[in-house]
Amino acid sequence: MYWVAGGFIYRRIDSVVHRLDARVKLLLTSELVVLSLLSFTVAELAIALGSTLAIAASARILKRMGRTLLFSAGFSATIFIIDILVGYTIIEATVYSMRFIAIVGSTSIFFLTTSPDELEQVMRWFRLPRDLIFAYVTAVRFVPVLMLDALQIMDAQKSRGLEIEKGNILKRIKNFSPVLIPLVVNAVVRSGELAEAMEVRAYGAVKKPTMLYDFVMKNSDKIAAILSVVLMIPTLYYFLFLV
Amino acid sequence: MIQFDDVSFMHQNGVMALRGINLKVTTNTLTAIVGENGAGKTTLVRHINGLLRPSHGKVLVFGEDTRKQSVAKLSRKVGIVFQNPDHQLFSDTVENEILFGLKNFGIQEKEQRDQLEWALEFFDLSRYRNVSPMLLSGGEKKRLCFACILAWDPDILILDEPTVGQDHGRKEKISLMIANLLQKGKTVIIVSHDIEFLWPLQPRTLVMAQGEIIADGNIAEVLSDDSVIKQANLVRPQLLALAIALKLKPPKNVEEAAKALA
Repeated sequence: MYWVAGGFIYRRIDSVVHRLDARVKLLLTSELVVLSLLSFTVAELAIALGSTLAIAASARILKRMGRTLLFSAGFSATIFIIDILVGYTIIEATVYSMRFIAIVGSTSIFFLTTSPDELEQVMRWFRLPRDLIFAYVTAVRFVPVLMLDALQIMDAQKSRGLEIEKGNILKRIKNFSPVLIPLVVNAVVRSGELAEAMEVRAYGAVKKPTMLYDFVMKNSDKIAAILSVVLMIPTLYYFLFLV
Repeated sequence: MIQFDDVSFMHQNGVMALRGINLKVTTNTLTAIVGENGAGKTTLVRHINGLLRPSHGKVLVFGEDTRKQSVAKLSRKVGIVFQNPDHQLFSDTVENEILFGLKNFGIQEKEQRDQLEWALEFFDLSRYRNVSPMLLSGGEKKRLCFACILAWDPDILILDEPTVGQDHGRKEKISLMIANLLQKGKTVIIVSHDIEFLWPLQPRTLVMAQGEIIADGNIAEVLSDDSVIKQANLVRPQLLALAIALKLKPPKNVEEAAKALA
């Protein structure tokens, strides 16, 4: 389970992509998502997916993104089966399931290379409400903590004779209740404690809190942003006017 | 009964948590494992019921290799009471919480009932039997965790930081419980930072630092060694520190100290 979760958790790595301004990373991700949405053939989607994997390789997150994609493959297969059942052709079903994988891959570039702090800055830049930003960023920060909790709870319950992997699918789902209940209760208790800890540290005391760091776009960020837009213009032209 | 043969363990992130551990724990003994945070104490005990498998070497429990046994099978003989009760409790009532392990191990109904009553009584939880475990205080939750594990009467009991969140009276009760278990022929292993709690029990003491056992022996002998104290960043129990300062034979308790000083 931790192996899969590792594919969703940000890790500090020194790479060209990690060093980019978070807004540029968001722009790149958005362009890749648009590319995936506009692609209607297997070849076009292969190019979109290839571009995503190339960026992931330069960010040195290919291995962890592989876990995310492997995890998404199950959902992709479900999309394929449903499409076939409702009457789409095999090619169309392949395109839709590939598109799902391409979108997951491109969005994971942003989340695997952007720290919760940068995420907060991006959301602030979009002038989203402070409470919403705080709730979202805190949830992201707590993913690894919850994973660790889940592993410890599993160990504790296995030591009491629980065999999680035993039985048919329904039994296995039922086996998870001794893990899920303490996990949820812990998360709720922790959120209450966190709320109190934030209050005693004056959260919400002023309407507009001051900030220590601000966004500054470096020249390399500007070049990356311009380059991606320049590449995107003919691509959009091709999809909108030539296909 | 428990044997570690040249055991090393590396975490998935590449951190070496245990290095070349050789250890034998015999039946009906009390062993304490002390050391700094991250020294490898919990990693070591998790090998005994198969939660972790050695990267190198082997662990034998009652002569059986833990790599060839399921955690559930080993847990029938090796009970671990984990540090954080909130990681273990999930049932709707205290009674069902205790019964969880007994049912998992397929213990017969009559024995289940007897063991449940014994555990509720022994840990002073009878009045809470129909109460949700979530509503208990920290100390009560800890007691419930003891009850949950001891209810199936494992041969080996491992206590991970048993005194955390316990007041003095409860700590004394835990000491009594340990003495009681030893009388019943059980093997007890305690992982703890609470040296003052361990001292009157006079256990065999293993000191760990950076994944290795750096000292093994009687608690007085081990903690009298300055280099061990420094390397493992430990603090001596007050009675031992006093005995060393006054060049006396280390007293086990205040009464013995008073007698020596009289």
